[in-house]
Amino acid sequence: MTGLTPSFDLGRTEGRGLRETFRGYLTAARIGWAVEANWADPILFFTYSVAKPIAAALILVVMLDIVSGGQAPAYRRYVVTGVALWSFVQGGFAGLAMSVLEDRERYRMLKYVYVSPTTFAVALLGRGTARVAIGGMGALTTLAFGALVLGMPVDPARVDVLLFVASMALGLVAIIALGLGMAAVVLQTRQDSWSYPEAVAGAMFLLVGAVFPLAVLPGPVQAIGLVLPLTWWMEGVRRSLFPGGVSAVGGPGSLFTELTGREAPDTPALLLALLGTTLLVTLAAAVAFRVSEHRAKDRGLIDQTSGS
Amino acid sequence: MPSIPLAIDTRGIERVYKAKPRPITALAGVDLRVEPGEFFGLLGPNGAGKTTLIKILTTLLLPTAGTAHVFGFDVERETKRIRRIMNIVSGGEQSGYGLLLVREQLWMFSQFYGLGAREGWRRVDELIEAVGLQDQRLQKVSSLSTGQRQKMNMARGLLNDPWILFLDEPTLGLDVSAARAVRTLIREWKGAVVGRTVLLTSHYMAEVEELCDRLAIVDRGRIVAIGTPADLKRRIQRDSIFRLELDRLDGGASSLSGLPGVLKAVTASDGSSTSGGARQRTAVKLVLADDNALGPVVTALGQRGSQIVSLEKSEPTLEEVFVQLVGRSFADDSEDGGSDTDGRGSSSGTDGAMADPSAPPPPTAATERMTEDAPLAATGLPER
Repeated sequence: MTGLTPSFDLGRTEGRGLRETFRGYLTAARIGWAVEANWADPILFFTYSVAKPIAAALILVVMLDIVSGGQAPAYRRYVVTGVALWSFVQGGFAGLAMSVLEDRERYRMLKYVYVSPTTFAVALLGRGTARVAIGGMGALTTLAFGALVLGMPVDPARVDVLLFVASMALGLVAIIALGLGMAAVVLQTRQDSWSYPEAVAGAMFLLVGAVFPLAVLPGPVQAIGLVLPLTWWMEGVRRSLFPGGVSAVGGPGSLFTELTGREAPDTPALLLALLGTTLLVTLAAAVAFRVSEHRAKDRGLIDQTSGS
Repeated sequence: MPSIPLAIDTRGIERVYKAKPRPITALAGVDLRVEPGEFFGLLGPNGAGKTTLIKILTTLLLPTAGTAHVFGFDVERETKRIRRIMNIVSGGEQSGYGLLLVREQLWMFSQFYGLGAREGWRRVDELIEAVGLQDQRLQKVSSLSTGQRQKMNMARGLLNDPWILFLDEPTLGLDVSAARAVRTLIREWKGAVVGRTVLLTSHYMAEVEELCDRLAIVDRGRIVAIGTPADLKRRIQRDSIFRLELDRLDGGASSLSGLPGVLKAVTASDGSSTSGGARQRTAVKLVLADDNALGPVVTALGQRGSQIVSLEKSEPTLEEVFVQLVGRSFADDSEDGGSDTDGRGSSSGTDGAMADPSAPPPPTAATERMTEDAPLAATGLPER
C-alpha cells in the first residue's frame, strides 16, 4: 500500500475552516444530485419530478374550472403557481428530512458521513440543496406547462424581478431551514418514519395558501399560516410574476385584513414578513437540529436502523 | 518527534441506555489504554459491549460516565480533531450509495475528508488497486458482492490515512476467501507504516489471535483480562503440558514422575497404548514446571530405550481462556438468547447491552486464582 504517508503532525487535526465546510457542502450536494436525480432511470425521474407536479396542477385546474364554470382565470394562475412552487417544498423540506432516513436506513451511510470531519448539518444542507434543485426543475416545467398549455402566460414586462429574486432567495432559505427542522425530528424517530416528512409537508400545503387563500380557513389556522414563511414566499413570487392577482394572505374574511385593515400586504410589508418569519424559522431550526443531534448522539440514534 | 499520547485512553467509561423496564448497561466502567502502533483486539461474545466502546471512541455515541481520549483528544469535546485522524469500518452491513460508481463514492468521501479534488482521485485509485477492486471501479455499488462491498468499505476507511482505524467485526458475514482477503489487507496496511494503530472487535477467536498484538476479553460491559494472546493463555495454564507418543515405555507413565521438573506424568486419556503392527505405542501426558524440564525427560527416555514417535505441546485456545475467565462459552450466550452482534441492525440502540449491569461477572476458579495470586496490575486486569 504505497503512497500513504504516515504523519503524527498535530496540524493534521486542525480544519481548513470555510474551505473545508464549502467542500463538504458541495460534496453532499453532489451526492444528493447523483442519488436523487435518478438519471439511471430517466422515466422514473421524469415521472416523479416533472409529471407529478404537472398532473397535480392539471387536476386542480380542471376542478377549479368545473366549480367556477371557467370564470376564475386569476385563480387558475394562483393554483398553478402554488403547485409549481410546492415542488421546491417537496424537494427541500421533505427531501432533506428523507435524506436522513435514506442514509440511515437504506444506504447505511449516515454514520460514515457523521464521523467524517464535515459538519453533519452542512452535509445535510448540501443534500437539501440538491433536492431543491431537482424540485426547481419540476417547478419550472409546471410553470412552462401553465403558460403554454393552460393559458396563463407570464408577461416579462410586468414581472417584478427584484421582488421575485428577493422572495425566491428568502423562500429557499426558509424551505431548507424547515427541512433541517424536520430532519431534526426524524433523527429522533426509532420506528418507521418514512411518511413523516410527506405528512407534514401535506399539512403545510393546506396552511400556506398554496392552492386556496388563507381566508377560507378558520382564524386560528390562518394565524399558523401567517407565521410560516412559505405563505409570504408564495405571496411574493405570485405577485412578482402576476401583479394584481389574487392574494393568499389578505382579502375579505382573512385574518390579515381583520388585523391590519388592508386588502393585501404591500410589497415592503410582504418582504419584511418574509424576512422576519424566515429568520425565526431558521433560528428555530438551527437550535432544534443542534439539540436533536446531541440527543441522537446521546441515545445512540445516529446509526440505528428500524429495519423498515 | 514529540511524545505521542496514547492512541486510546479510557477511564471508567460507562454507558447506560434508558430502557424499560430498567436501564441497560452496555459498558460498566472500562479502563483501556492502547499504545500508538498497536494492533489491539476486543474479544467478546455478542452483546459484550465491544461495539458500544467503538461507537464512543469514534464519536458516534456519548458515554454516560468516564472519559475517553483518542490520541489525546477528548471524544466529547474534540470530535472534529479525532475525526480527521481516525476512521471506522464495520462488517455485517450492506452500506453504500447503490447508484454511485465505486470510484465515485470513494471520491466523494475523500472530499468529506478534505482532500483536494485531484488528490482525492489519486488516493481513490491507489486504494482501489490496493484492495483489488480495479475491475469493479466503474461498477455501481449496488452491483458489488458482499465481499467486494466490504473491500470498498475498507478503501473508504483508509482514505484519510488514519492514525487509528477502528474495525468492528470487519469480516462478519464474509465467506472464507473474502474474510482472508480483508485480513490480509488490514495486516498489510498496518504493517506498511510504523505507528499505525488498529482496534479490532471480533468474536472470531482465530481472527483476533492471528492479527492482534494484544487483546482484551470483554464480557457484559467489563474488561475481564488484557494481554497478549500468549499471556492470556499462560494465565490459565501456567504449567507446560506436553503429549508424547513413545514406541514403548517400560514401567508406565508413573515412572517419569520422579524426573526433575516433572510435576505429573499420566497416560494420555486418548488411549494408553495403540496397536502399531507388532509393536505397541504409548501416549503420555507430561505436566512440567516449565519447558526447560523437557530436555532431561527426553534424555531419560533415551536412556531407557524409549523412542519418541511424536511430541506436541498442548496450549489452551482463546476460547478456553474465555471460558476459564468468564465461566461460560460464546455459544452459551447464543443459547441464552443473548443480544445480536452488538445490536447491528437493531432498532433498540442498546447494542452491546446486558440485562443486569450491576452484577459483577460470576467468579470462576480462574478469576479467583488470579486475584489470589497476583495484584491487579501484574495480571493485566483493569483496575476497578
